[in-house]
Amino acid sequence: MLNSKIPEGPLENKWSSYQTKSQLINPANKKKLNVIVVGSGLAGAGAAATLAELGYDVTCFCYQDSARRAHSVAAQGGINAAKNYQHDGDSVWRMFHDTLKGGDFRSREANVYRLAELSAPLIDHYVQQGVPFAREYGGVLANRSFGGVQVQRTFYARGQTGQQLLLAAYSQLYKMKRAQKVAMFPRHEMLDLVVIDGKAKGIIARDLITGQLKRFAADSVVLATGGYSRVFRLSTLAIGCNGSAIWKAHKRGAYFAAPSFTQVHPTALPQTSEAQSKLTLMSESLRNDGRIWVPKKKDDDRRANAIPEEERDYYLERRYPSFGNLAPRDIASRAAKERIDAGYGVGPFKNAVYLDFKHAVERFGIQTIQDRYGNLFKMYKKITGVDAYQEPMQISPAAHFSMGGLWVDYELMTTIPGLYAIGECNFSDHGANRLGANSLLQASIDGYFVLPNTINNYLADELKEDHPTTDHPEFDKAQKEVEQQITKLLTVRGDKTVDHFHRELGKVMWQECAMSRNKEGLGNAISKIKEIRDAFWNEVNVTGGQQEMNTELEKALRLADFLELGLLMCTDAFQREESCGAHFREEYQTDEGEAMRNDKTHAYVSAWAYDNGNFQLHKEPLVFENVQPTVRSYK
Amino acid sequence: MKIVFKIWRQVNSKSQGGFETYEVDGLTEDMSFLEALDYLNERLVQRNEKVIAYEYDCREGICGQCGVFINGRAHGPHDNITTCQLHMRSFKDGETVVVEPWRAAAFPVIKDLVVDRSAFDRIIEQGGYISARTGTAAEANAILVGKEVVDRAMDAAACIGCGACVATCKNASAALFTAAKINHLNSLPQGKPEASNRVLEMTRQMELEGFGSCTFTGACEVECPEEIPMINIAEMNARRVKAKWLGK
Amino acid sequence: MFLRKTIIALTGLFLCIFLIVHLSANSILVLPEEMARGLYNSYSTTLRESPLIKIVAYVLYLSIVLHVIYALLIVLNNRKAKSKRYLLNRNRENSSWTSQNMGLLGIMILLFIVVHLANFWARIKLGLGENVALDANGHVDVYEVTYSLFRNIYYVVFYTILMIPLGLHLNHGLKSAFKTLGFYHKKGLRVLAKISLVYAAVMAVGFGLIPFIVFLK
Repeated sequence: MLNSKIPEGPLENKWSSYQTKSQLINPANKKKLNVIVVGSGLAGAGAAATLAELGYDVTCFCYQDSARRAHSVAAQGGINAAKNYQHDGDSVWRMFHDTLKGGDFRSREANVYRLAELSAPLIDHYVQQGVPFAREYGGVLANRSFGGVQVQRTFYARGQTGQQLLLAAYSQLYKMKRAQKVAMFPRHEMLDLVVIDGKAKGIIARDLITGQLKRFAADSVVLATGGYSRVFRLSTLAIGCNGSAIWKAHKRGAYFAAPSFTQVHPTALPQTSEAQSKLTLMSESLRNDGRIWVPKKKDDDRRANAIPEEERDYYLERRYPSFGNLAPRDIASRAAKERIDAGYGVGPFKNAVYLDFKHAVERFGIQTIQDRYGNLFKMYKKITGVDAYQEPMQISPAAHFSMGGLWVDYELMTTIPGLYAIGECNFSDHGANRLGANSLLQASIDGYFVLPNTINNYLADELKEDHPTTDHPEFDKAQKEVEQQITKLLTVRGDKTVDHFHRELGKVMWQECAMSRNKEGLGNAISKIKEIRDAFWNEVNVTGGQQEMNTELEKALRLADFLELGLLMCTDAFQREESCGAHFREEYQTDEGEAMRNDKTHAYVSAWAYDNGNFQLHKEPLVFENVQPTVRSYK
Repeated sequence: MKIVFKIWRQVNSKSQGGFETYEVDGLTEDMSFLEALDYLNERLVQRNEKVIAYEYDCREGICGQCGVFINGRAHGPHDNITTCQLHMRSFKDGETVVVEPWRAAAFPVIKDLVVDRSAFDRIIEQGGYISARTGTAAEANAILVGKEVVDRAMDAAACIGCGACVATCKNASAALFTAAKINHLNSLPQGKPEASNRVLEMTRQMELEGFGSCTFTGACEVECPEEIPMINIAEMNARRVKAKWLGK
Repeated sequence: MFLRKTIIALTGLFLCIFLIVHLSANSILVLPEEMARGLYNSYSTTLRESPLIKIVAYVLYLSIVLHVIYALLIVLNNRKAKSKRYLLNRNRENSSWTSQNMGLLGIMILLFIVVHLANFWARIKLGLGENVALDANGHVDVYEVTYSLFRNIYYVVFYTILMIPLGLHLNHGLKSAFKTLGFYHKKGLRVLAKISLVYAAVMAVGFGLIPFIVFLK
């Protein structure tokens, strides 16, 4: 049933052989084809700009006031590429292997290989677009190392790599807007997908300024809407990040793959109050030079600097001597949780661990550390008022990245023909855990290099079809459903706020479906979420109307979808009876507390179909022809 | 802690606005300023009132979407931060805090504290890019770029487009924003081929959008969350003189 | 807008140079009575008779007029750009009062210039008002005009006090003019800021003190 369309032939040749065989469209015909791109982050803006350059007629949407705000902007650390500039034994194969292993062998070989293969040209592309990547005095590009890897292949622009890449993509997008090849709709949120005769043919979007519902028809729809970890409420994501577009697509027939695979980032700032809306991320690159520790004594109330060396537990170095502080994110997060749960946490709420730069400053001097992380230290001081050159930072794990997303084949098409999902909103390359500095990479590769070379294979046939128009009955139907949902929300008039329910949902999700999960907890979570969902629809109060800018309504619409998505996440975590990557089931662990994967029974991608409020599991078996899955050890 | 918020309310771009006063009790010093507004909004919902519209997204100081005028300063009482990085510990218990939208003719108010900054996008659209197509790039290390050059480009490129420079400027000048993008691209070898057109077209668009001119008060560099210095404006002027009068 | 700003900068810089010459001439006034009268009058006669200086004088008038007109245009445009003001604006925390009030300072200086021209230029060049006598050397006795004007304490105070806005205006204006014209050398700008301050102080104090010294003679 699930056809991943992986091309035949040896791994190294799959992408090139795919390209030689896929159908082409002549330039004169491309302009007759309209493509909708929802989302304007690295994946969306990259795709929209590149498709426009190729000659397609592109319409691009984002809910923010400008494409430049998309949350790709927040990725700090860098972007990986197998350039081997450091002469340290890196290669496409090694990067492929690292990524596959980092994902705990829960992703497709062919996709991951393509990601590694296209990484080097991507750096060329960004340099050409004017990204000010860090350089050596000699003028060549600089690299640094990153978690889960033993070579230096990460390219970076201070602590603002994501921002610089996004600005490049955004400026390329606006270049094409100037050329009138892209119509840009900021402050528009997609509220439904329109499927005609089984094919994706348009969307319903709400103009966030006027509240007007608008219809947009196209020959193909590309979703690039990012991650959905705001389902936990407290996360490193932007407040507006949501899962609504992919959820609506899921309800219209797109399979949702591995929804429970959520990465928890080890280096965020700890929660300090109930009203908190967000956990600020401190770049993982800090772990290059910072050392993570907790006191050896429980409830040690001394100031960090007053605790002598021999009374500090550098637990990552202790448990994982060969990777130490650079252990992959899932492992570092879980290790922190283990220490905090055991009562060794620090800070006023005992919910943090120390990230200490004392040794790095002693070794390299304050100037070097300032060069490498200056803006991060500054940011830390702005938020906490603490000078991290003098005192260690306090960090804590936080929900960060959704490996899961809409199921896509090798062409990045979902199970709805003509509907594509690119970037974080799909499930493709990261398996059960994403390596640091691979998210910018995947989003960019999908948007710039893959989609523009696969969408033609579908659109070539669409040329012969009638172009859809917005007066098709399916548009009426979809718009009516959206209107009904909005009216329903506005007429509940209960006595609780949207945020109240979001906090409730977040607590359940964080407790039962984050760093460590178990059968009983997930079972309880499912029934609790159902209760919260029912309470939401009966007791929520959304003030204001539909025909105006209404931020409360926007939040309510997003939460309504999160409440359903949370159910699916727990259902998925419930059925996967093994531990792999970020998915850690307490029942499946070694005596030392390491994850126990089960390749015999669980070497598959779970892909869920929506069926009237129920979820049906389909499995895409993962076949490893080139790499033998091994126990993922970073010891 | 208790704060008396005096907040600008305006139904939409066409309507007249005015200040409303809200007494909010139960805030804590650890709350960010935006979380305090969230808290106020939840109280408003409980009173069946319409919530206050204000903007934010990443809440970690990088997306540039948040931004209001707080107690007479863009992004509040501290230098070089964003609104989302401001915390309630910066205010005194019982203090009155005046919250206003960015004021500039080129940034019309959409609702309450939300303004339309699309003028910035249109400035970028006029040349804030390098017109090379995807797939045409040469090997990244083929062109060497000195560390000093790229560091200076990065200093300018750090702009988050929040609009505080315009908001704080008595002339509502967008010179710092425009200069930052021009200097970022024009100082890199990749940006050189289009350098002259870029500076001329972007500055022309800046004027068409109705921003005022720079009189070097220096307020912008104090409010800029990325600490982009005003010297960038002088550099842009030099680049413009060169493009306009000294040939391409 | 860039052209207007450039014109303001260039005319401003020219006026700055003019002020140096003007102050050097004025410093003659502090010499002992007889020496001062002779030197001052012969100097001003030379100025009036030199064709070169005539051209310079016209450039000077033009500079003042252009500086004022274009400043006015810029101010009007900037006000349009900032049509709505803040209820509360603590701009003193992020910028100097001077930089925020160049227009106001300019108006005060303009007011001064009008009075100053009425006092001297109108009498000597246009021959308005009471006839000006000749001195022993047959030169127009400009010194006497000055001397008698600064017998009046109100004029002395007016001339002195209005040198404060002049100094402030010059301090901000001089360095800004260079930036407007595209001078962006980092160290150079730091030096320039110091030069502007010294220059403005010398001008304000110099022009401001002389009427007092004359008054006390």
